[in-house]
Amino acid sequence: MTDQTVTATLDGRTVTAEAQETILACARRHGVPIPTLCELNDIDHAPATCRVCMVEIESPGRDSAQLVASCNTPVQEGMTIRTRTRRVREAQRLQVELLLADHNQDCATCVRHGNCELQDIAQYVGLHTNRFFDRTRTLGRGIDTSSPAMIRDMTKCIRCQRCVTICRNGQTVDALVVTGTGIDSAVGLHHGLSQKDSTCVTCGQCVMVCPTGALGERDETDTVLDFLFDSEIVTVFQFAPAVRVGFGEEFGLPPGTNVEGRIIGALRRLGADIVLDTNFAADVVVMEESAELLGRLAGKRRPTFTSCCPAWINFAERHYPDLLPMLSSTKSPQQCLGKIAKTYLPERMGIDPARIRVISIMPCTAKKDERVRPQLAENGVSEIDVVLTTREFARLLKRQGIDLRSQEPSVFDNPYMSAYSGAGAIFGTTGGVMEAAVRTMYQIANGRELPQIELSQLRGFDGARTATIEVGGTIGTVKVAMCHGLRPTRDLCEAVRAGTADFDFIEIMACPGGCVDGGGNLRSKKAYLPYALKRRESLFAIDRSTAVRQSHNNPQVQALYRDFLERPYSEKAHHLLHTYYTDRSVEMSLTVKQVWEDITMSTMVY
Amino acid sequence: MATIVYGIWDGSVIDHRNGNGEASSLFPSLAGFGEFNPGNPIRAFFGDRGFLIFDRTVSLIDALRRQLAKAEEQSCGKCTPCRMGTALIGVSLTAMARGEAAPLDLDSIVMLGRQMAETSLCGLGRTTPIALLAALTHFRDEIEREIASGVPCPTQYGMDYMTAPCIEACPSKINVPRYIDYIRDGKPEHSLGVILQKYPMAATCGRVCVRFCEMACRRNLVDEAVGIKILKRYVADHQKGPNALRFSRDLIASFHPTEMRVAVVGGGPAGISCAYHLLLHGYHVDILEAMAEPGGMAAIGIPSYRLPKDVLRSETDIILALGGRFLFNQAMGRDFTIDSLFERGYCSVFLSLGCQQGTPMGVADEDSSALGYETGIGFLLKVHDHIAGTRLTRLCGDVVVVGGGNVAMDCVRSALRMGAERVHLLYRRTREDMPADHEEIEAAEAEGVIVHFLTNPARIIHENGRVVGLDVVSMRQTETDARGRRNVESVPGSERRMECSVLISAIGQQVRKGVLSPSDGIAMTPWGCIEAAPVDLATSRPGVFAGGDCVSGPSTLIHAMAAGLKAARSIDDYLQLGQTRFFPRSRMRQILNEHKLLAADCVELPVRLEYRVHHPELDPEVRRTMFEEVETTISDEDAYREAKRCMRCYRIYSVITEQPIPEGAA
Ligand SMILES: Cc1cc2nc3c(=O)[nH]c(=O)nc-3n(C[C@H](O)[C@H](O)[C@H](O)COP(=O)(O)OP(=O)(O)OC[C@H]3O[C@@H](n4cnc5c(N)ncnc54)[C@H](O)[C@@H]3O)c2cc1C
Ligand code: SF4
Ligand code: SF4
Ligand code: SF4
Ligand code: SF4
Ligand code: FES
Repeated sequence: MTDQTVTATLDGRTVTAEAQETILACARRHGVPIPTLCELNDIDHAPATCRVCMVEIESPGRDSAQLVASCNTPVQEGMTIRTRTRRVREAQRLQVELLLADHNQDCATCVRHGNCELQDIAQYVGLHTNRFFDRTRTLGRGIDTSSPAMIRDMTKCIRCQRCVTICRNGQTVDALVVTGTGIDSAVGLHHGLSQKDSTCVTCGQCVMVCPTGALGERDETDTVLDFLFDSEIVTVFQFAPAVRVGFGEEFGLPPGTNVEGRIIGALRRLGADIVLDTNFAADVVVMEESAELLGRLAGKRRPTFTSCCPAWINFAERHYPDLLPMLSSTKSPQQCLGKIAKTYLPERMGIDPARIRVISIMPCTAKKDERVRPQLAENGVSEIDVVLTTREFARLLKRQGIDLRSQEPSVFDNPYMSAYSGAGAIFGTTGGVMEAAVRTMYQIANGRELPQIELSQLRGFDGARTATIEVGGTIGTVKVAMCHGLRPTRDLCEAVRAGTADFDFIEIMACPGGCVDGGGNLRSKKAYLPYALKRRESLFAIDRSTAVRQSHNNPQVQALYRDFLERPYSEKAHHLLHTYYTDRSVEMSLTVKQVWEDITMSTMVY
Repeated sequence: MATIVYGIWDGSVIDHRNGNGEASSLFPSLAGFGEFNPGNPIRAFFGDRGFLIFDRTVSLIDALRRQLAKAEEQSCGKCTPCRMGTALIGVSLTAMARGEAAPLDLDSIVMLGRQMAETSLCGLGRTTPIALLAALTHFRDEIEREIASGVPCPTQYGMDYMTAPCIEACPSKINVPRYIDYIRDGKPEHSLGVILQKYPMAATCGRVCVRFCEMACRRNLVDEAVGIKILKRYVADHQKGPNALRFSRDLIASFHPTEMRVAVVGGGPAGISCAYHLLLHGYHVDILEAMAEPGGMAAIGIPSYRLPKDVLRSETDIILALGGRFLFNQAMGRDFTIDSLFERGYCSVFLSLGCQQGTPMGVADEDSSALGYETGIGFLLKVHDHIAGTRLTRLCGDVVVVGGGNVAMDCVRSALRMGAERVHLLYRRTREDMPADHEEIEAAEAEGVIVHFLTNPARIIHENGRVVGLDVVSMRQTETDARGRRNVESVPGSERRMECSVLISAIGQQVRKGVLSPSDGIAMTPWGCIEAAPVDLATSRPGVFAGGDCVSGPSTLIHAMAAGLKAARSIDDYLQLGQTRFFPRSRMRQILNEHKLLAADCVELPVRLEYRVHHPELDPEVRRTMFEEVETTISDEDAYREAKRCMRCYRIYSVITEQPIPEGAA
């Protein structure tokens, strides 16, 4: 390919473009807006299917102007581009009207209402009529409600295929396929499986890129309202480390603002009985995981993978079951909190455990999936009763008329399970679990604190990072790796499988960026994870501002072990805070007969 | 010959509705639209660049409805204008054709049709409305008159055919864009399913096909052809391990009684493909094969570094999975005759004997029995036996191979691997004229083969009954022949001597002499091939069909497999009806071909350049020593990327005929 530039005219202006640069990219560089829908630059996705981004071009040697999709048409030497002619505007408007013709536009009931790229574009192109809509055209596509985590409502799918791209190229899970043809075309799971039975790991990254309400979390705000207004029930809320730095935007606060205090205040206003912090449980996880890791290192069992990310657990169980013995058995912070809140807490507070309902607020769709894992319930009692994603929590506040912006901040007041260390706070970002664990392992190995608390060598942002840490003492050198996003994770799993990876401890977060960019966060429009670094910085700031920076120094954690669990990885801790994993790989084998029955649009011989 | 009453083609309007109806001289290429099948005149033709009406009474509305209905059925649904345009216009045309009120008026139909044509993503959406728009622009009065009459359109007969340049170029007419789309969609198993509709040897074809489709691919006009063959190999190789696509007898809808037995003579690609389709039709098939293994030239000719034996074997095993039988070491002419096959109770016979005998060069002192003299086929058979471990061969010194086709290329590359110090290839014309796949030529040169273009053998030198060298002459180019190739003649006084220990003549193959005798009753062509009717591959003897190299002369795997499919259909018709039926789709292709209707010569809109992925290949220095496969399958990621390059150049063509078109095989 050449590296020349070309010169063209854009709305009357002379512009230069890189060879092969698209008209859309060139227009954006020059501040010329073009409406787009299917394209998503942040994930390098331009399938050119929506056909909204039309512009008019005149090419040298052609006598008539043509309409082209700007997102995949290159600027060529001498081309004249017009983005706002009447012909362009009419084509764009008609396109959006046609998009609505088979779109189940029940906006008032839609999870995406008010935050929908399709609504936006309809306004942008000045749509005034809706002549072609016919609801029966949406019925061939269906709604998949099988997953505990997510709903896939294909009647609202505009076939932009962003979800396919993020799942295939971003996460390398490749769970999604294009199904059907014509007006029945949509997106489904491989081999016609339901989402629940498929290879999907419920990371929710597809939800983060979907421009419409076609993909969304399962809404469980009503269950929470039921609990809140049932006087028999003691509601216990927890919210994840990442929630406090990824929530303010919804109420007009700057991205990355730490709204911990306001969330506590809002929960009190909602009528929460007890407000706990998942950060506390993160500290407990550090204690358990460090103890477990040291045991495994002593037994020369390496590597050990972290286990706090449920989408990673799903990924391992579905795609790399042979690696399951390498996963830490420690439950995730969410589940640890739930378990402790239904055992230790009622004991301390003198409450009947049967009255307790634990509600988690998580930046994660997979946490909903984790909640219903059979091995995380005992005698029919689950550790967690409802998981709300950050998005549902926003919805819940709005349903109750609470505006976070004007909410007075409050503070945690539970004397047993709400204090946290800086180590617990950074669990929400990639490398944070590792850093927290190293701080505690150092203390165990040397009997004194790590002099340099912040480990900058762990704080990069590459998808996969490695480091060699001198822990010293009884442990010596520890080789660690951290991955965020499932693409680097897959590469690492392959290396472990092949025996070419030399690590002791591996931290995995399935979502790119870690929990601060988890699939349960607030959605962005036309952008993928735009606030990743701001949120991360806020977490590091929280760590710096805490009085206690190591999990083992959290006084409430110390009390928990002293009064209840004895010591990390004790018999009791093992019973309550550890779990196991099962091979859930999906067998996907078809016969030629089945495939032939399913093939459309090709002439069958038989 | 039908004359055009009215219509429009490539923007030129023809209107003889009030005139004398003389054939338009504007379109010489459109002359000669006669009958579709005997006694069934074509009344109208609709295509991607307009439509032609030969019979004034044709209902335009109904004809356009048909075309749109086909497009709606075939719309992939990804882009907005085609997905909705075909559906919305389709509903209205259907209502109008029934004489009912339509939801859209004609202006709205024009608006939607224009949106489709101007803004759709692929060829299907962009070209289907062209005839519709032309009709509504230039012959709106016809449509308005039909609507005004308020009566349902009379039933019209005809057929609709969707194709693309790559499909037409493929001898087996594989629906290439469809299988590429299935890769994009994330369903490689469906992609393979599309290929398996036509033949069983997908992984083989994905390795050795000569790629007619890629030569015709419209993407050539932008950057490079879509990697159609690479993708075929990808989907075929994808089906490995426990999740592989499985063949089983339940594919066969209904079985014919056991007496319905067919004999296939020769287990090469043509025979395998024919047996496969006959088995799927429910027949009992025995393949009688002279060798001890199936595959024909794919097994004994094509070397294993291009086509590993286990890949081929897993595909010939499909015959067994479907209940077919191989009878090995059964040579026709030696162990049985056609008469004896019928006596044994076979109801029909397919001859797929291939061209298994090397053609001599015809130069002075050529002695095929001399030590060190080999035909290409004979040599490759030795290579095959060497690898199989049944008979070892070692080469040393200089080896000279004569020829310019793929057989010659396989000989030079194999000779290197068998230990020859230097390998020379002599070809009498230029590099551009070489029929071999040019990627093969480059691969051979990279491995160290010395190619002598414009060089021809003149005399073979022997010592003690052994070939020790040859005299060669230089050639030069002269006038261009009818096929556009420059002829050559020898340059006087340019003779020189080359020494060699082995001389391989790889200039051609022919049907083995003596396999068929006059008593078999099978007519042969003057050049020694079996004579078979092009339409149905019937030979001169009733019930006996023939195809593949033994009919065409040395050709390609894909032609052989296409012949196998055609023969299977003919045999089915012959056994069920006593005669072969009309093939409507073949006739449609013939019309497109004769009138050069499928325009593949331009790309209307600017397209971003995206160069194609290539197979990861090993270093030539390593490669030249090994018979293991030198190219590996591309990754999932590359496959998705390559699949995205296809522009889906679909077009729909319809004919309206006087009578119903007879039901024939698809
Ligand atoms: C060296 C070489 C390389 C080639 N490379 C390519 C390539 O890269 N790409 C490509 O597309 N094509 C290639 N070809 C051509 C391709 O292999 C042939 O066109 C194709 O195999 C023809 O198939 P067929 O079934 O008609 O005949 P064949 O493959 O020749 O099969 C005929 C079968 O009939 C059997 N037979 C013969 N006589 C009798 C008898 N009397 N009784 C019983 N059985 C008999 C033979 O043993 C053989 O199994 C190559 C050919 C050769 C020789
Ligand atoms: S996806 Fe958007 S346009 Fe569609 S119903 Fe929901 S809010 Fe309305
Ligand atoms: S949740 Fe994750 S794994 Fe599942 S379909 Fe979406 S992106 Fe793929
Ligand atoms: S589900 Fe959403 S992201 Fe996926 S194709 Fe449909 S609209 Fe696009
Ligand atoms: S671009 Fe695709 S449809 Fe067009 S000729 Fe090539 S392979 Fe066929
Ligand atoms: S944004 Fe260009 S076609 Fe959708």
